[in-house]
Amino acid sequence: MRSISILLALAMVEISPLATSAADKLNFNRDVRPILSDKCFRCHGFDENKREGGLRLDTAEGGTQKLESGATAIVPGKSDQSALVQRILSEDASLKMPPEDSGKKLSAAETTILRRWIEEGAEYQGHWSFIAPVRHELPKLNQSTTATNPIDVFVLARLERANLKPAPSADKTTLIRRATFDLTGLPPLPAEVDAFLADQSPEAFEKVIDRLLLSPRYGEHMARYWLDAARYGDTHGLHLDNERGIYPYRDYVISAFNENMPVNQFILEQMAGDLIPNATQRQKIATGFNRCNVTTSEGGSINDEVLVRYAVDRVETMSTAFLGLTLGCAVCHDHKYDPITQKEFYQLYAFFSASADAAMDGNTLLPPPFLKTPTPEQEEQLAALDTKLKEAEKTREERLKQLAAEYVDPGPQNVVSDERKDFVWIDDALPTGAKAEGEWKYLTKGDFADIPSGEKVHTQTGVGTVQHFFTGANPPLLIGDEDKLFGYVYLDSKNPPKTVMMQWNNGSWEHRAFWGEDAIPFGSDPTSAAHRHMGPLPELGKWVRLEVAAADVGLPGGSQVNGWAFTQADGTVTWDSAGLQTRTPQQGLQFESLAEWDTYQRSLKENKLPQPVQGIVKTEPDKRNEAQQQQLREYFLKNVYSKTKSTLQGLDAEVAEIAKKKTDLDNSLPASLIMQDMPKPRDTFVLIRGQYDKKGEQVQAAIPAALGKLPEGAPANRLGLAQWLTDPQHPLTSRVLVNRLWQQYFGVGLVKTAEDFGAQGEWPTHPELLDYLSRDLVDNNWDLKRLIKSILMSTTYQQSSRVTPELLQSDPQNELLSRGPRFRIDAEMLRDNALFLSGLLTEKVGGKSVKPYQPAGIWEAVGFQGSNTLNFKQDQGESLYRRSLYTYWKRTSPPPSMMSFDAPSRESCVVRRARTNTPLQALVLMNDTQFIEAARFFAQKMIAEGGESASTRLQYGFRLATSRTPNEREAALLTRIYETHLADYSKNQEAAKKLLEVGESKTTLPMEPSELAAYTMVANLILNLDETVTKE
Amino acid sequence: MNLHDIALAHTRRYFFGQTAAGIGAAALASLMNPRLFADDQAAPQPAAMGPSHGALPNFHHARKAKRVIWLFMADGPSQLDMFDYKPKMEEFFDKDLPDSVRNGQRITTMTSGQSRFPIAPSKFKFQQHGANGTWISELLPQIASVIDELCLIKSMHTEAINHDPAITYIQTGSQIPGRPSMGAWLSYGIGSPNADLPAYVVLHSRLAAGSQTQALFSRLWGSGFLPSKHQGVALRSSGDPVLYLSNPPGVDAETRRKMLDGLAELNKEKHEQIGDPEIVSRIAQYEMAFRMQTAVPELVDITKEEQSVLEMYGPEVKQPGTYAYNCLLARRLAERGVPFTQVFLRGWDHHGSLPQNIPQLCKAMDQPTAALIKDLKQRGMLEDTLVVWGGEFGRTIYSQGTLNKDTYGRDHHPRNFCMWMAGGGVKPGIVHGETDDFSYNVTEKPVHIHDLNATILHCLGINHEQLTYRFQGRDFRLTDVEGNVVKEILT
Repeated sequence: MRSISILLALAMVEISPLATSAADKLNFNRDVRPILSDKCFRCHGFDENKREGGLRLDTAEGGTQKLESGATAIVPGKSDQSALVQRILSEDASLKMPPEDSGKKLSAAETTILRRWIEEGAEYQGHWSFIAPVRHELPKLNQSTTATNPIDVFVLARLERANLKPAPSADKTTLIRRATFDLTGLPPLPAEVDAFLADQSPEAFEKVIDRLLLSPRYGEHMARYWLDAARYGDTHGLHLDNERGIYPYRDYVISAFNENMPVNQFILEQMAGDLIPNATQRQKIATGFNRCNVTTSEGGSINDEVLVRYAVDRVETMSTAFLGLTLGCAVCHDHKYDPITQKEFYQLYAFFSASADAAMDGNTLLPPPFLKTPTPEQEEQLAALDTKLKEAEKTREERLKQLAAEYVDPGPQNVVSDERKDFVWIDDALPTGAKAEGEWKYLTKGDFADIPSGEKVHTQTGVGTVQHFFTGANPPLLIGDEDKLFGYVYLDSKNPPKTVMMQWNNGSWEHRAFWGEDAIPFGSDPTSAAHRHMGPLPELGKWVRLEVAAADVGLPGGSQVNGWAFTQADGTVTWDSAGLQTRTPQQGLQFESLAEWDTYQRSLKENKLPQPVQGIVKTEPDKRNEAQQQQLREYFLKNVYSKTKSTLQGLDAEVAEIAKKKTDLDNSLPASLIMQDMPKPRDTFVLIRGQYDKKGEQVQAAIPAALGKLPEGAPANRLGLAQWLTDPQHPLTSRVLVNRLWQQYFGVGLVKTAEDFGAQGEWPTHPELLDYLSRDLVDNNWDLKRLIKSILMSTTYQQSSRVTPELLQSDPQNELLSRGPRFRIDAEMLRDNALFLSGLLTEKVGGKSVKPYQPAGIWEAVGFQGSNTLNFKQDQGESLYRRSLYTYWKRTSPPPSMMSFDAPSRESCVVRRARTNTPLQALVLMNDTQFIEAARFFAQKMIAEGGESASTRLQYGFRLATSRTPNEREAALLTRIYETHLADYSKNQEAAKKLLEVGESKTTLPMEPSELAAYTMVANLILNLDETVTKE
Repeated sequence: MNLHDIALAHTRRYFFGQTAAGIGAAALASLMNPRLFADDQAAPQPAAMGPSHGALPNFHHARKAKRVIWLFMADGPSQLDMFDYKPKMEEFFDKDLPDSVRNGQRITTMTSGQSRFPIAPSKFKFQQHGANGTWISELLPQIASVIDELCLIKSMHTEAINHDPAITYIQTGSQIPGRPSMGAWLSYGIGSPNADLPAYVVLHSRLAAGSQTQALFSRLWGSGFLPSKHQGVALRSSGDPVLYLSNPPGVDAETRRKMLDGLAELNKEKHEQIGDPEIVSRIAQYEMAFRMQTAVPELVDITKEEQSVLEMYGPEVKQPGTYAYNCLLARRLAERGVPFTQVFLRGWDHHGSLPQNIPQLCKAMDQPTAALIKDLKQRGMLEDTLVVWGGEFGRTIYSQGTLNKDTYGRDHHPRNFCMWMAGGGVKPGIVHGETDDFSYNVTEKPVHIHDLNATILHCLGINHEQLTYRFQGRDFRLTDVEGNVVKEILT
């Protein structure tokens, strides 16, 4: 009970710092609006459709007008005559406001505020954040102070009002660690700490900041926050969740921060880089911001519905990231709390109605529009290959013309006959285009006395159902009427299978034949083509040809097969050539006679030729006109005529080789999704209740009235939208950005709800300071580094973060900035820090994402069969040790260690991460391979650089991690723990060795395993220290 | 810093008064009880409802269920071949679905291009079971044997027509990613009486024979905008049951204990220097992690289960990761007080060859499901455990692709499907709602997925309209702005 009463007391205190004293007049925006917004606006606010009793309380006119009932809600100066006051005080449940079923309730304090405000004249104000920031005069301080930085004057003035004093400055060691983490995401080196401690000049800290702002790590660190807002991911995020090519956008963000691109330009390029006249390649890449939304290609989706979702996502992301508004509320109805109508939402939406990306992403890496970004060398190579290719094709064309001129139809060559021949489709290699899956293990001829064909066979051994297969062969295998599929198989007599099965894919796998027991459960109805029982197992220990009439497995003439599976239950099974006994020309079957080929094609139920040739063949020969005859002849000579093949073989090979080189190079180019507008935008309508197929009024692109309008002369497209966002007088953009910056450094923004500057958001703790910072940014050419430097140079930033019981009472949440920040570093920083301390970190700016350690089976447990991100394949070498912002982000299953530490899934825009403290986090830091391996290398570093004795080494390690030298007790404790571990590992060398084997990188230090293991455990401990994982 | 931390700071003397290893469970539980720092905004509730372990100070009304086990049949199982008996369809074989039935409703683009919509009656035989003679297909003999325990809802419906949005919808109340899942809401709202195990556990079943399957997404058990500690923890069947649970090779529990003792001492030292209550909280989290390292392996160790119990769940129960094993684990979690467990069984996406594939999948599902009901019952736990069975939507009466006497396929059908519940708070042995002769439209007592979710929360003592969280200026809840408790099925 005692602790609860303390809590209650504290809860009261908690409210106090921002509450006004009785002497001050109430401020509508700060004191009254939050109450009205939370408790009243839902039914008496901006949303006309939900307004009750004709009363709206969000405007003075609405509040003071006479209502249908005859009453007046607010009579300024006369609370006892105001119906509002009567109703909130009423004891009668049928009259009492807010009504009970709303679940809302006014506290006594809130009731008092409402009454007092009416007594004081019920003055309204426009919502603070919709009024452009102005430079406020610096407040006068009572006490003399040395504060020179305007930030400090604002903060001190506020502290004075609460009778508080700022904390003393943090010591220099703490300060350099704080600044280094804040600017680069990594800790300082001991040498950097020493240099700063030794520098007694007044500019010492400024020099540190200048140095850090020039580090390329700065851009990487800043980019990480930005990418949360941009919802950057490496996969499409929905359904198959296949890989997406957009990492050049991330590179753009990093470099833009590093070169300190003015923030207005940075925003403009991301919103509309493609629409800037003479847009550069880089400006187009920047538009990836609006291509980071999650996309789908799920079969059965309805395009219109999906397109609506994409555009809504873009509006919501823009509004959260730049406006700090929750416009998503207006998708279905007028915003309940902020003055944004549903119509205005769709007017913003209309800016995205011209977007050229399709509803279905096709599950491809690069759903258009995208941009390839070759280096100059690559461009040169491409051009050279292109020239070469054209030349080779020209030579080939000329040779072909010559052949055509010489061609005389030799008459039927009897190729097309009733006799079927084996067409071997699979032998030592897979057909072109085939995508192999499962284990394709090849053996050479030498392992067998003899093999049916070629040089190699493929084999598999397993327990239960195992298989290897491919899909995607192109050209496909063309099945003719009454053709037979065949395959050669060899069953190991020592380890025979229960069942062998072949399966064929024509878009589905429901075509199966099996021999032996019915032990493979695929498509189990024995009467069906999906599960055709062919008979007993073939004879063991010899090559047997298996044959199946294609029609029996549901593949009638005209079917096309693109995949083949070799499946077995138990045992060892070896396969050789497989294919089709057919008279249908496959790739490789040849014709010499045009007439004969023509006849053959016409005999097929359905010819698979491209248009217009397909149509010409279907036309009776005597009804074809001359042009058609000519087309048919050309097609035949180019593609079918066997002599063409043999004559042009060399030239074909050359063309193919150059083309392949060109394609390979082209595929290896970095490429990134970009925005592009269609010449004619889709029409935009208000969607009733947000439903894609319930169209209301048609609307045009425009800015919500409460937020101004497009700047003079700006086009009504994304470029105009971007110009509006970056207008120097825009009330929100700069405030929202500086607030996030503040949040980054202090843990909490000046507006606590960084994502909501609307009526439901928190009132800023220091409104004038927020305005000052915001104007300072804009009026200095949106120079971010300048602003950051001025924040870090403030005394406010440099305060000690030590907490005293008194401070906990007077400013429990540090809202008044009465001390320095202290909070756990983010997921990425935790990992980067461990890698940095251990010396494992590979620093390389930019490039493709990497796949470091991750426990096995995480993607597989949830993945879609057929997704190209179903199987996680861990990278090797330096890719294991890149900074975490390069870690591959699969959005339906993000890196688990990051998720444990509150990283967002990147499916939608996030500008404020939670900061939790859980046992699962402890488990990551204690046991994750990445951290255990880092501990071992950290241990090696202590030993190598920390002197000769255990105690100096451990103290050195402690200093690396915390930047400070441990005190005597701490040092003694470290040594004691080390000795305990050493004693244990000396008795158990095996355990020591095992610990040292965790991770891919081998131990480089020659040392007793027990000793290194003991250091590793202490390193593990140090990496788990509260101080190590905290910025203070 | 928040009040929770301050609470911790105030109790630190007590905390450090004992050796780190000897911290009593009760002490930790009280340390960790989030109720101590919950916002005390909601109206006071009669104390008789009892306090929750989460952000809700008290339950909204007396609860009938203390925990929920949701057997989630992902990909949309066919109601037509399992629970929704439509004898009239025999005579409609291969006839077109009348336009008057379809009534212009949207269908997926997988079949919207089909020239006709031929009716495919179920190939499977139905029989009446239980006291009320409920029709059940021959595919589910074991479930049929416990039908008197079930409350079968035939009139479920949703709007979403594709997997990704539909499963996101039923799990989070929104088709668009970003909202907390039901389990996360429960973890946030009522927490768990067991501090050693997560409040929301997810169990994935390995694919059974006959599966045609879709992907799952971690957002389905994610915490959305709630703090991430409320996200579901997927217990894995291979490797560590909980990610990163095991110490690395070469580190045993004793070594870890020594390391943690040192860690706590150094952290305590730091706390002396800087006074940040967050440090005390961190020490407590490490202690909980250490105890989870014991509690979780004990949970998944089924070797001490009685043979008769194992037999009830069927031969696959001993293989970790099978649906049978997961059902048994769900019971063990329920015994340990875990308030929300979801067992996912994927594979019901039978667009083609349904009659060939569904029997094996049903076989894998039927026995363990019935065993779970019986097992809970015999332990007296069915009274206060709510079991839910079902997926994100149903399947069409008309065939997708080939239809002949042997085979047919079924497309997605959101307009009606079947789910059932059993145990804490729902009436046993009843059928709720009805559909037309084509199992195409709900004709009686529709139950929307929001209604289902509202009803589940109701059984747990929660008013779904009052479990809210302020995010981006709006008070969000699981059921969005919808949801009516289905009072008729409540006890």
